[in-house]
Amino acid sequence: MSKVLCSVATRGRYFTTLPLVLNAIINQTRPVDKLVIFDDNDEPQDMRGEMIYQYFFQMLDIKGIAWEWLYADKKGQHHIHQRANTMGYEWVWRCDDDAIPEPNVLETLYYYANGVDNNIGAVGGSVLTPPYMPDTYKVTGKIDNIDSEPNIQWGKIERAKHVDHLHCTFLYRAGIIDYNLGLSRVAHREETIFSYGLYQKGYEILVVPNAVTWHMKNPEGGIRSETKQELYEHDEQIFRNILRYRDKTIVVLNCGLGDHLVFSHVLPSIPNAEVFTCYPEVVPGKSIAEAIHLFGDIDHWNIYKKMDQWKWKDSLENAYRKLYA
Amino acid sequence: MIIISPYSKALLSGKQNPKNYPYWKELIEMIDEPIIQVGIEGEQQLVPDFRKNLPITELRKLIQECRTWISCDSFFQHLGWDEGKKGIVLWGVSDPLIYGHPENINLLEDRKYLAENQYIWWDATEHNPNRFVLPKEVIKYLK
Repeated sequence: MSKVLCSVATRGRYFTTLPLVLNAIINQTRPVDKLVIFDDNDEPQDMRGEMIYQYFFQMLDIKGIAWEWLYADKKGQHHIHQRANTMGYEWVWRCDDDAIPEPNVLETLYYYANGVDNNIGAVGGSVLTPPYMPDTYKVTGKIDNIDSEPNIQWGKIERAKHVDHLHCTFLYRAGIIDYNLGLSRVAHREETIFSYGLYQKGYEILVVPNAVTWHMKNPEGGIRSETKQELYEHDEQIFRNILRYRDKTIVVLNCGLGDHLVFSHVLPSIPNAEVFTCYPEVVPGKSIAEAIHLFGDIDHWNIYKKMDQWKWKDSLENAYRKLYA
Repeated sequence: MIIISPYSKALLSGKQNPKNYPYWKELIEMIDEPIIQVGIEGEQQLVPDFRKNLPITELRKLIQECRTWISCDSFFQHLGWDEGKKGIVLWGVSDPLIYGHPENINLLEDRKYLAENQYIWWDATEHNPNRFVLPKEVIKYLK
């Protein structure tokens, strides 16, 4: 059975919604294999001194659930999720610190994730924020309709449905694509960009019934507790650029001349490539500076980082083929 | 005519690149035909004809004119391969199965000398002459 890491990013909610979230995670009908809490508070506390947390940690130990409390680096939740994404688990269930899952949520998400189809990239359920309950029966969940329809997870999901992207909390196949670390600290649209990235990579994204999380939107605290409008605008611009280039295969060659020469043999097999290059005389394209401006983070196109991540033993040429497949 | 490309890219730390072949002088003495060295300003000149900072188009022309070429693991071995001209690559710490091309002659003393992590900066690996094949082995493949 493939293992599930549950990741919770928290800030400013030690004594409001975080305990509810932890209690809900501990009491899932399909237990998580490990719980990791990323504490992004400006003044983090040692919660082992708090009675309710003492009970939580004991419950985890008694249930045989591994857990870890890590202090995050205050760069935003996309950095936190990326840490979870690369912790070596096949699946990561990302949970918000103000979104309380019903006891069967992970069991349901996991059931669909490991169903007959081995091509599932992410699965999400309803994320309900009372009293707001839009009718999402006709919502498509397609990225093309992101500006014209409510998010499908905001309403009650009656049947499993393929979508292009997810929101807030979901179970995803880890280590396939990276979070966009070029987003600002508010990480506006981070989960949309991430889940849509899985979709673009060819994985199926599902919303499923019978997996309800109650989003107790808390105006205080929260990982996105920034009010600077320019940060949201910065992130929105990156998101719009990703959409603008969605029919292209983005290629970023921020590497050496020899790497460009090797890549030039791979390029003909990449459909509709939009290339950003250091050596346009070898591989024609736009500048690396433009790639950074458009997409924020270009590290997920770093072939050396990828080969290290994949523990790669094959040729550089085939590594490029894998990266841009 | 033979082209030699003796040096890999200089490291930011100023340390010697561990991919640099240590026996060029001895190897050059054993070669009995004209040699053109290619490289960049600041690299040690090993033969009278040292052509520095050539644009890639000029390098491609030169490769087409040469009988063969010898290089450490640098961009040049990829360029020779890209031009379809078989050459000799002298390996030490980087893995020819990853960075090499089977169309070339890849000479490696022993895989036990390869850097454990092939994907970090080469500054982290010390230069060690014992990791490379000796000139007398290289010359066998030059005929």
